[in-house]
Amino acid sequence: MPLVIFVDDSETALASTRMVTDSMPITVKQYLSAVDALREIKGGMTPDLIITDMNMPVMNGFEFLQALRTVPSTARTPVLMLTTETRDELKQQGKALGLTGWIVKPFNPAQLKQAIARVLRLA
Amino acid sequence: MQFVQTLNGLLEHVKKVERETIALTKDGQLQLVKFIEKNSLRLDDETLEVMQYQDIIAQQLSATIEAIENMQGHLHLFTNSFDQDASNMEESFGEMDDKLTSVLKNAQEKHSAFGGKTQHHDYDDGVEFF
Repeated sequence: MPLVIFVDDSETALASTRMVTDSMPITVKQYLSAVDALREIKGGMTPDLIITDMNMPVMNGFEFLQALRTVPSTARTPVLMLTTETRDELKQQGKALGLTGWIVKPFNPAQLKQAIARVLRLA
Repeated sequence: MQFVQTLNGLLEHVKKVERETIALTKDGQLQLVKFIEKNSLRLDDETLEVMQYQDIIAQQLSATIEAIENMQGHLHLFTNSFDQDASNMEESFGEMDDKLTSVLKNAQEKHSAFGGKTQHHDYDDGVEFF
């Protein structure tokens, strides 16, 4: 099954995404920090999709995205930003950095599932 | 500058209450999630959407805590400056007002930025692909 990783410094946000995705044919891993996720990726984990929060301490979503693009195994991995931010300038910045898409919290569960299925080309 | 100390104490109290609120709402939410997952309950989409509010509440309160801490920093600098040269009181008040105005503007921007769709009800529900 495709591996999808979620990165968010909020335990309750991760719980919400877990409850939404638990019926999908995917394997989910969750991280409370981008630093921890990046460490595992550099250690050999190869996610098929990465969904990350924007505003996080230590390493924010954009910094995480930039770091992912320097790792050969995730240089082209789809990345979705899942955030409270709605500002267009941030979306444009994310697009320029190679972001795949933008989802605003609180997300609509059906639409999150559709977005994951679309990126992973699930039937 | 007794009033500054009193104001600082009040701000500390507000931060404490906000931090407790973040912790309580988080604990409550996680307990609820534990019950749901333990009993394999299925929630409808509307409920799953409002279950995300704790994250937004925590972000909003954290932003106001940050604003309060910035304000306290400026108050501290103001008090030090005033203690060194009381004749510059008017100038010190003016500088502090400028800084606090900046703190307020920043806090208001974060209120909007961290609210997601709860602050932008007209926001398109869809996922935006680039």
